[in-house]
Amino acid sequence: MLKATLMGAILAAFAIAPAYSEQGPSDPQIAHIVVTANQVDIDAGKLAEKSGSSKQVRDFGKQMVTDHTAVNKSATQLVTKLKVKPEANDTSASLKKGGDENIAKLKSLKGKEFDKAYVDNEVTYHQAVIDAVDKTLIPNAKNEELKALIVKVRPTLVAHLDHAKMLQAELAK
Amino acid sequence: MSFRVSLLRSVLLLAVVARPVAAGAATHVVTIEGMKFEPATLRVKMGDQVVWRNKDLVPHTATAEGKFDSKGIGAGKSWAWTAATRGQVDYVCTYHPGMKGSVVVE
Repeated sequence: MLKATLMGAILAAFAIAPAYSEQGPSDPQIAHIVVTANQVDIDAGKLAEKSGSSKQVRDFGKQMVTDHTAVNKSATQLVTKLKVKPEANDTSASLKKGGDENIAKLKSLKGKEFDKAYVDNEVTYHQAVIDAVDKTLIPNAKNEELKALIVKVRPTLVAHLDHAKMLQAELAK
Repeated sequence: MSFRVSLLRSVLLLAVVARPVAAGAATHVVTIEGMKFEPATLRVKMGDQVVWRNKDLVPHTATAEGKFDSKGIGAGKSWAWTAATRGQVDYVCTYHPGMKGSVVVE
């Protein structure tokens, strides 16, 4: 009787857990998430390079374009070498959707309002990507080279987050 | 036989020892990896060469205003500088403000 109740509780716990938490993303899905995450920040960076009202914000946008383009170049070379075909998934779709919404919002802003909204989003975005790297991408990557690439990119994301926070503090003055 | 071996050994030893002496200066490597300069502080002698080697995926610079500026060092690329004056030179990566290093020229 007790055994049956316990079994029922375990089954119930599995049933309410989202389907993806039982099985993390596959390597092709991880590859798609990595490339999408970089592309989303490249797109925002290009807009900031053009529409940022301060030189610091324009320079930061340019830096994001440079760095995330370089990371995507390495990621694309690796997946080509490994013959992994990036596969679209819910996580990459929601990253893209969030990125598009951010661009749409930024396009409606000017001057200091643009700078603040762009930099605030860069802080949130890099933090979210670092969390995904730590909790989802690194633990689930099966191919060692794919995992190593993500581990190698992490310090760049942290440096970008620190840089964005520094700008955020300056813009608040 | 043993004379020839020892002669050969002497010649080899001489070749190994003589090279840096003949060059007169050493080459030091600063590795750029994980958004850091390693070692962060490097001690060199006048005339020594310092090579920054970028092992990251993104470009970096080694820039000391008025002293030296590598400009962009791409992924997998290197840049060299020769220490010509004594003193401490603090440098940064102009792309990533958190990255700092020093070269102490003795």
